[in-house]
Amino acid sequence: MSEYAIRVKNVSKKFKIHHEKRDSIFESVSGVFQKKTHSEILQALDDISFDVKKGEIFGIVGPNGSGKSTLLRIISKIYQPDSGSVEVNGTIIPILALGLGFHPEFTAITNIYQSSILLGFKKEVIDNRVKEIIEFAELEKFADTKVKNFSNGMLMRLAFATSVLVDPDILIVDEVLAVGDTNFQKKCIDTIQSFKKRGKAIIFVSHALGMIEEYADRAMFLNKGKIEKIGLPLDVIAAYDDFSTKRYE
Amino acid sequence: MTSIREEMWKSRAILFNFAISDLKIRYRNSILGVLWSVIEPLLMLGVLYFVFSTMFKFDIPNFPIYLLLGIIIYNCFKNGTTFALNSLTNRASLITQIYFPRSIPAISSAITASIMLAIEVGILLVFMIGFQFVPPITILLLPLILGLQFMLVVGVCLPLSVLNVKFKDTEFIWGVVLSAGFFLTPIFYQFDMLPEYLQNILQFSPMVQILTMAHHVVLYGMLPTVNSILYAVGSISVITVIGYLIFRKFQAQMVEEM
Repeated sequence: MSEYAIRVKNVSKKFKIHHEKRDSIFESVSGVFQKKTHSEILQALDDISFDVKKGEIFGIVGPNGSGKSTLLRIISKIYQPDSGSVEVNGTIIPILALGLGFHPEFTAITNIYQSSILLGFKKEVIDNRVKEIIEFAELEKFADTKVKNFSNGMLMRLAFATSVLVDPDILIVDEVLAVGDTNFQKKCIDTIQSFKKRGKAIIFVSHALGMIEEYADRAMFLNKGKIEKIGLPLDVIAAYDDFSTKRYE
Repeated sequence: MTSIREEMWKSRAILFNFAISDLKIRYRNSILGVLWSVIEPLLMLGVLYFVFSTMFKFDIPNFPIYLLLGIIIYNCFKNGTTFALNSLTNRASLITQIYFPRSIPAISSAITASIMLAIEVGILLVFMIGFQFVPPITILLLPLILGLQFMLVVGVCLPLSVLNVKFKDTEFIWGVVLSAGFFLTPIFYQFDMLPEYLQNILQFSPMVQILTMAHHVVLYGMLPTVNSILYAVGSISVITVIGYLIFRKFQAQMVEEM
C-alpha cells in the first residue's frame, strides 16, 4: 500500500468557452462558414502536480475561477484531464455541491441509497448505516420527504452525513460547509478530524482562511490554473492575503 | 465492446436501480400508474384495428394478435430510444457530481423499455387466450429474438444519449425517424404486400427483420429464415459498432457541455 492517497501529476485542462454556444447541428454547420471565432480557450489548469498523503488534511484556496472546482472534478474522475495523470488509492467521495447529485423527486432515504451505490458502496453496507446517517444529519422527521422540499442546509447535512458514514478512504469537500449552522459546522470539523486520525485523506476548498489555517496540515494556493504556493497553511495563506490586497489596491 | 460488457456486469446494481427509478418517476403523479404501460398499447391497438379492419380491410389472419405483436415490439424500440435521449440530461446534477460509467443511463433506458415489454407480452398471452389462439411451439424462440432486439436498442441508445447532450436536434430528428419507422415496419401490414423495390431496401432494416422473425415464430409456427437471421445480425452488429464508436468519441467531453 502506498503512503499516498492522491497523486496528481502534471495535470492540465483546457476549456473551450463558447461565446454564443452552438447547440444545434445547423448552427455548427453554418458556423464553419463564418470567419468570426465564437470560442476562446481557457486554460483552467496548467501543469498541476501535488500529493496528498493518507491521514492528511489538505486545504485549497484561491480566487473564483482559479480552477479549484475543475481540479476537484478531475480528481473525482468527472472530468478527464487533457494531459497528466491522477492516481487515487482507495474509495473517494466528493461533495462538490449541495447534495451528492440528489434527485429532487426522491426521498432522503432513496437518495442515500442511490448516491452511495453509484459511488461504489454495497447495498448491505448502507442498510446498516441508513439510520445513523439520518440521525447524524438531524433529519429524523424528514427521512421520507422528497428532497426537493429540503432547504440548502438540510441538503448539505444529508450529503455530508451520507459521505462520512459510508466511510470512504478519501473525502473531498468543496466549499459547502459554510451552508450549515455553527452547530453542524462543528460536527463536521470533529468528523473530519476523526477521519484524519483513522488515516483517511481529506481535501477541502474554502474561502474561510481561518479554517484552513486551523485544521489543514498542508495547503495550496491556486491562481489562474497555476500553483502559486504549496506548503504550510500559514505560508500559503500569507501568500494568498498578499495577492488579495495587491489585487484591490 | 468487451469493456462495456464488463462495465455493465460490475454496475448491475446501478443499472437496475436506474431502470426501476425511471419507471417510478415516469408514472409518478398519475392515477393509473404502471397500468399505463398496459393501456397505452391497447388503445393503440384499438385505433389501428379500427382503421385497418374497417377502412382498409387488410386480410391478415389473426389480425388482432398480429397487430398487437407488432405494436409491443416496436413500442419497446421506441420507448427505449426515447428514454435514452434525455437519460443523461435528466441526470445532469448527478453526472456533474459523481463519477459512474456514462453508458449506464443509456443501457438502463433499454432495460426500462424491456421491463415494459415483458408486461406487454403478458397482455399478448391474455389476448391469445381470449381469441382462443394456440401458439405454435416455435413461440419459445421469441425470447431469443427479443434478446437480439435488446442489443439493437442498446446500440442505438448509447449514441443517442451523448449526441442529445451536444446537439438538441437529435431529439427532433429521432422523433421523425421513429414515425417513419412505424410505417416502414410491417406492424399493420405484411412485408410482402410492399412493392419489390421497397422490400429490397427495407430488408436492411433490423426492425423489419425482427418483426418478420417474430411473426414467423409466434403466428405461423415457422423457424426464422436464414436470410432474416443474417440480415438482422448483420445490420444490428453494424449499428451497434457504429453506435459504440460515436458514444466513445463524445462520452468524455459530454459532461463539460452540461
